[in-house]
Amino acid sequence: MTREMLITTLRHHLGSRYVLHRREELMLYEYDGSAMDQALPDVVVVPGSTAEVAAAMATATRLGFPIIARGAGTGLAGSTVAERGGMVVSLARLNQILQIDPQAATAVVQPGVVNTDLSRAAAPYGLHFAPDPSSQRSSTIGGNAGSNAGGPHCLKYGVTSNHVLAATLVLADGHVVRVGSAVSDTPGYDLLAAVVGSEGTLGIMTELTVRLTRNAEDVRTFLAIFDDMEVAGACVSAIIADGIIPAALEMIEGEGIAAIESWAHAGYPPDARAVLLIEIDGLREDIAAEARRIALVCQASGCRELRTASDAAQRERLWAGRKGALAACARIAPHYHILDGTVPRSRLPEILRRSAEIAAHYDLKVVNIFHAGDGNIHPLLLFDLRVPGTRERAIAAGAEILRSCVEVGGTISGEHGIGIEKREFIPWIFNVEDLSAFTDLRNVFDPTGVMNPGKLLPPPASLSSLHASQPSLRLPRRGAWI
Amino acid sequence: MTPFQLYNQQPSQIVAPTSAEALAHVLRDASSTGMAVIPWGGGTRQGLGGPPRRYDIALDMRSLADVIAYTPADLVLRVGAGATLGQVQDLLATHNQWLPWNPPLPHQATIGGLLASGATGSLRMGYGTPRDWTLAMQVALGDGRLVKSGAPVVKNVAGYDTHKLHIGALGTLGVITEVTFKVAPRPAHCQTLLAAFSSPLAILEAMNQLTQPPFQPISMVIMNGNASKANPVLHSFLTDKAPHLIMAVRFAGTAGAVGRQIRMGVAVCVEEGAHTIELSEADDSSIWQAIADDLRPTEHVLIRVGVPLSHLRTMLRSVDSIPHHRGWSTEHYLIGGAGLFYARWSVSAIADLAPALAELRAGLAPLGGYAVVEHLPVALANQQPPIDIWGPPPETLTLMRSLRHTWDPAGILNPGRYLV
Repeated sequence: MTREMLITTLRHHLGSRYVLHRREELMLYEYDGSAMDQALPDVVVVPGSTAEVAAAMATATRLGFPIIARGAGTGLAGSTVAERGGMVVSLARLNQILQIDPQAATAVVQPGVVNTDLSRAAAPYGLHFAPDPSSQRSSTIGGNAGSNAGGPHCLKYGVTSNHVLAATLVLADGHVVRVGSAVSDTPGYDLLAAVVGSEGTLGIMTELTVRLTRNAEDVRTFLAIFDDMEVAGACVSAIIADGIIPAALEMIEGEGIAAIESWAHAGYPPDARAVLLIEIDGLREDIAAEARRIALVCQASGCRELRTASDAAQRERLWAGRKGALAACARIAPHYHILDGTVPRSRLPEILRRSAEIAAHYDLKVVNIFHAGDGNIHPLLLFDLRVPGTRERAIAAGAEILRSCVEVGGTISGEHGIGIEKREFIPWIFNVEDLSAFTDLRNVFDPTGVMNPGKLLPPPASLSSLHASQPSLRLPRRGAWI
Repeated sequence: MTPFQLYNQQPSQIVAPTSAEALAHVLRDASSTGMAVIPWGGGTRQGLGGPPRRYDIALDMRSLADVIAYTPADLVLRVGAGATLGQVQDLLATHNQWLPWNPPLPHQATIGGLLASGATGSLRMGYGTPRDWTLAMQVALGDGRLVKSGAPVVKNVAGYDTHKLHIGALGTLGVITEVTFKVAPRPAHCQTLLAAFSSPLAILEAMNQLTQPPFQPISMVIMNGNASKANPVLHSFLTDKAPHLIMAVRFAGTAGAVGRQIRMGVAVCVEEGAHTIELSEADDSSIWQAIADDLRPTEHVLIRVGVPLSHLRTMLRSVDSIPHHRGWSTEHYLIGGAGLFYARWSVSAIADLAPALAELRAGLAPLGGYAVVEHLPVALANQQPPIDIWGPPPETLTLMRSLRHTWDPAGILNPGRYLV
């Protein structure tokens, strides 16, 4: 009855075309990019304006339905999965770039704009949007902001929160406010800082003002080849300790190298134990000097070979390997559980060794493809769902690896978010008082608790037992997809 | 002046906790008894926010000054909020690193006080603001809860970034006890170009060109004649002592890249009719410290203005006319890349300041700009009616109040000094 009322009211506000409620329609929205969690929403709305977002949210709140914002659905932590049913708000139709200001190097965009589309539109002005998650060809600016997305070039340029200046935010009750400002240091609390990365738990952003970054004068990309994973890890630390902040510093290790090579033909030596993809950018004199220093550090670290991409085509070939890495790993095993932890950079060799040990203990293959310069590891635990018990082993091994990240002074998520996947690990890093302050913040924005409930923070005890009694929640009902 | 005296008000207690836990305990007690608390670092920013409504406890933060962890290879530093920025920079310098943050009076000002008061400096042009460099914090909330957020690693999305809420909040949500920063390698070379212009249009045109590729200045400040004269270090470099508009622009990197930008920068400025002076590398850090200190508190009122970059010219015209029409002497500072402007007015009566500020705000409103009284001298604060320090509140004031109420329910932190 209430669901019918919800649908009827939403159709009244948005028109029936943009209110999806049939099972086969809803099934398209039951998972995110990880396929680890699935749940059917009660309804999906596809609003075409801030006013429609507000009307839909006010309706859902009034009728007590959870509200879940969704961009392209490429998230990896279950943040956009409608675990308790409710209304998914797809921002796909809000996909316009409203303004690019080349002088101020800013853009005003709707949340559904695809990440690379913004950089493409800014290219004629010599600008780009710096956050570059691997999903950037499909993920949206709104989703990037909601999850505070990272990417390879965040090493030098910072994560999404460093690039969002202001947003129009719709609160649960449909109230529309502006948070942040394109003007520097406006008086008042920095509410935007809390909203970016809040995984849709504080409100829904319907318009964003973002910073654009000037394209560098010169770019150089290197491939450093190693026979030993820990030596490669130490080299990463040595580059940073030498005072070089590359634009990107990525590592691929283990069997992933050969798998990527046979798929992407990026020129990675299949017998290497680890490769580093190092990119520096800036003014040409600075680049020439840094290139010399990188060569020296790599040599001193015991690098087998250092190759330099001599032109844009070679550079793209090197990057194609990195960006296609996840797909390539399907050649090793059909399913994966991708982790996302961060450690102090100096602890990289240790955490790489530890993840290999843990994976071996659980009889799983592990490939590390990650943002080494940031200390942001992405162990990819590979398995075959058809083998009973492997998925559970992958989840257990994943938890143990993240626990190790915390033990060496790191954290449980560098860029993918907490969502459903990692909420139970939150108490490893935050105590009851810390969590009470987070809950306070959430209640200020969403006093009735309808915004993406259950995500980002650990469940209260009652929910935890519910979760345990329903293990099926974390079991894909129709197989994972890659 | 008596220590911890604020606008002629004296605290009944001075407390200097030696641990975050002890500090939280002080706040818990104060919250339950309704005692008003004013956190104190070096006191360099206490001119922001005006007189408190009540003042019972002076909370001296300077005993929480330990460097808790510093791993140079990780470029991460964790430090007590009572440490001075200068102390931190000195330590980082031993490893050829720095926090690219240059507010006034770093050897007196504390990390916590600078963050709480939203202090920035000219380096924001090249490196962003402290918000971008703050990885984690421990904060004692107004009700005495000791909480942390963020993580001591450069990339983290666990939990809400609540630490950033305390930056610029003037300690009204909680008292910062500990901060973890990302730090940066020091550039190999820094060099500065000074250029003296006679035309405001020409200096703005040069500024515009010097922020376009290939230029990558890390700092740029434009000063009017009064401001440059008030800075003896800067003034000593100026060969022509006539009251010109002065631009200081700083480049960093390898000698080659810095040299190329300086050469091209000279060409741009000369083309715009300026007289240029290339400073030696040896003079670089002293000149920038002197420029940063220009914005220290003095006996005059200091106004901060922010506008969208696209309205910079209109704003400059409007802020020029206000002291001009009144015959006040004024020092002007424009912080490049940020759309931030500071004016120091020689005004001694609140009856004169209030209408000038109102006129300024009326001119800024259609541009989307704002004006804040960055430093209110004691003499002006003790006149009636009180000056509106923060201007019109943002539309999110209700959310802000609700947040403050939940973290500082008794309203004990810096009461009456912030817009929330």
